[in-house]
Amino acid sequence: MIRKLRRVTPFQVVLVTAFTALAAFMSIPIIFILNHAFKPQSELFLFPPRIFVQDPSFRNFEILLLHASNAAVPFTRYLFNSIVVVGLTLVGVIVVSTMAAYVIAKYRFHFKGLIMGMITLSLMFAPETVSIPRYLIISGLHINDTYFGHILPALASPVAVFMLIGFISQIPNELLEAAKIDGASQLGIFTKMVLPLSIPAIATISILTFQGAWGDVEPSTLFMQSETMRTLAFYVNSLISGLQNSVAGQNMAAAAGLLMFIPNLIIFLLFQKRVMETMVHSGIK
Amino acid sequence: MGSIKFNHVYKNYRGESRPAVNDFHLTIEEGEFLVLVGPSGCGKSTTLRMLAGLEEISSGELYIDDKFVNYVSPKDRDIAMVFQNYALYPNLSVYENIALGLKLRKTAKFDIELRVNRVAKVLEISHLLDRKPSQLSGGQKQRVALGRAIAREPQVFLMDEPLSNLDAKLRAQTRAELIKLQADLKRTTVYVTHDQVEAMTMGTRIVVMKDGVIQQVAAPRELYDKPANLFVAGFIGSPQMNFIEGVVTLEEGRYYFTNKRLKLLLPREYDVQFERLTRSVRNVIMGVRPEHVLLKPGEADGEEYVAGVVQMTEVTGADSYVYAAIGDYKVIARTEPEISYRKDDVPAIGFNKGKLHFFDVTTGESLAAGGTEA
Ligand SMILES: Nc1ncnc2c1ncn2[C@@H]1O[C@H](COP(=O)(O)OP(=O)(O)OP(=O)(O)O)[C@@H](O)[C@H]1O
Ligand SMILES: [Mg+2]
Repeated sequence: MIRKLRRVTPFQVVLVTAFTALAAFMSIPIIFILNHAFKPQSELFLFPPRIFVQDPSFRNFEILLLHASNAAVPFTRYLFNSIVVVGLTLVGVIVVSTMAAYVIAKYRFHFKGLIMGMITLSLMFAPETVSIPRYLIISGLHINDTYFGHILPALASPVAVFMLIGFISQIPNELLEAAKIDGASQLGIFTKMVLPLSIPAIATISILTFQGAWGDVEPSTLFMQSETMRTLAFYVNSLISGLQNSVAGQNMAAAAGLLMFIPNLIIFLLFQKRVMETMVHSGIK
Repeated sequence: MGSIKFNHVYKNYRGESRPAVNDFHLTIEEGEFLVLVGPSGCGKSTTLRMLAGLEEISSGELYIDDKFVNYVSPKDRDIAMVFQNYALYPNLSVYENIALGLKLRKTAKFDIELRVNRVAKVLEISHLLDRKPSQLSGGQKQRVALGRAIAREPQVFLMDEPLSNLDAKLRAQTRAELIKLQADLKRTTVYVTHDQVEAMTMGTRIVVMKDGVIQQVAAPRELYDKPANLFVAGFIGSPQMNFIEGVVTLEEGRYYFTNKRLKLLLPREYDVQFERLTRSVRNVIMGVRPEHVLLKPGEADGEEYVAGVVQMTEVTGADSYVYAAIGDYKVIARTEPEISYRKDDVPAIGFNKGKLHFFDVTTGESLAAGGTEA
């Protein structure tokens, strides 16, 4: 009986094959970036281009570091800025979005429909369309050239709020009411019940937010005047675009591409695991 | 400790034309096991939630221990609630679930441990304390939910259909345990159910509700024997009470219940009920429980017994029920299982005349005095 159930059906074979192929196809860019960074100059310009590196070397990274050490602002400053900005953005988005989503999902108040509508509406704007209003707000608040100028535009994250609303509204009301009767304060209910139960969703929005903030060059380009306030993404971006036609630029671009990509990968793997864990172990439904 | 007073309490949900709870007026004595029963949507949960402080009271006053609590938050009412879906905190272990309420009330750590362990022992969940709720069976979850309520030793327990997610056997068992537990703890308990067996077995008093209105408040036996109106009569008892329409007539000083098929001479004890009816035509509905419908094989005499036709029989084990028709009137009779009737048998059907109920056709109110509180 059990053996029968375990038997692989032709449909499953097709399904697994198809998904494996799809996964392999999707991972080509990642494999390419990984290999590209270690290609010596000769392989970088090979035609037709190869995916896999033949003769790996760290030469590209050396060139990159050399270039960076000659720059007016040290490489580490960009890195530091990026870490500060991304870290604060992540924390800020999580705090703001979970609170907003909790209130919208579980409370009744005036203009809730209107607020929900505005959040939904703002999902539809392309980032470029809000650059100018953002610039006006940032300069109006006189927070150009500050970390706050980096973070503020990212704090309002309709995608995060939207996802969290969906998730939090699935938490049974009785659970929160039981906590209320047990004597938990509003803040206690939020931090001890709502937050832990929303971890899968928080992990998901963390991945999205991290990727957005880590790669975002808009604040550095538009809102920051001094070079010391700009982020790594901006540096790499200008490096690549500035040295597009030079031969050494290609080496550096390949190495920088990998460096920019790795944190994304790490964060993704880290949180992806949490997403799975919490989904398996949580007792909701 | 633990008395509750509802003073003309109403609940109007926003956007609903009818109040969900309509003029709920009741005093619950301390230590009482009060059961709220009624069909789905009659306002039981709403009443309980107002008592818990989870739902605002639209008008009227609520007192716990003579203290006005309309605006007191749930955590300050000294109550504990058991929810239908248990509402255990999925991210906390069983121990933490039970301990949370104590912890939030700043109970000393050794005291928490003592109490949790004691409660766990009483409920036989000591071996589960380290587990997460997702690793428990329905019955175990139910115990943990109970434990969480008991550990805090509140003045009032509120339970909203706590047994409805259990299978029949476990439900009966837990029901018995709950009764025992309540007797031991002697805490005021308000228990919501739509299961009349639970209501009848557990409650010291039962409140029957319909459409947000209290129909009758009485002890189980009284509710069964003296239903205040047609709704209560039909709701309590299974299979439900037989209702037969007819007219009460007065002939030579004696009252008769008559309709197309029946002419029953009524015992004198019912006279007072009919004397108050001043209308010339006294349309009534006669109610008689299945156990008071008498069946006997053989000829009807046309007076005490009339002819009926068996349409269906149902054997539940201890009893068997015969569904019969007297002309257009349908009756259900409880019989001994040994005496078997089959479809299309024509037994004689009579009624235990001491156990009849009469209801006003228009209002549905019982004609018997003392049935209602109001
Ligand atoms: N939040 C709400 N908003 C509007 N109407 C509500 C709300 N909660 C309940 N109601 C309405 O109030 C009435 C009573 O609901 P309640 O939940 O008290 O019924 P109940 O007796 O507990 O029923 P059940 O046995 O199905 O649990 C119902 O008509 C219901 O539709
Ligand atoms: Mg209910």
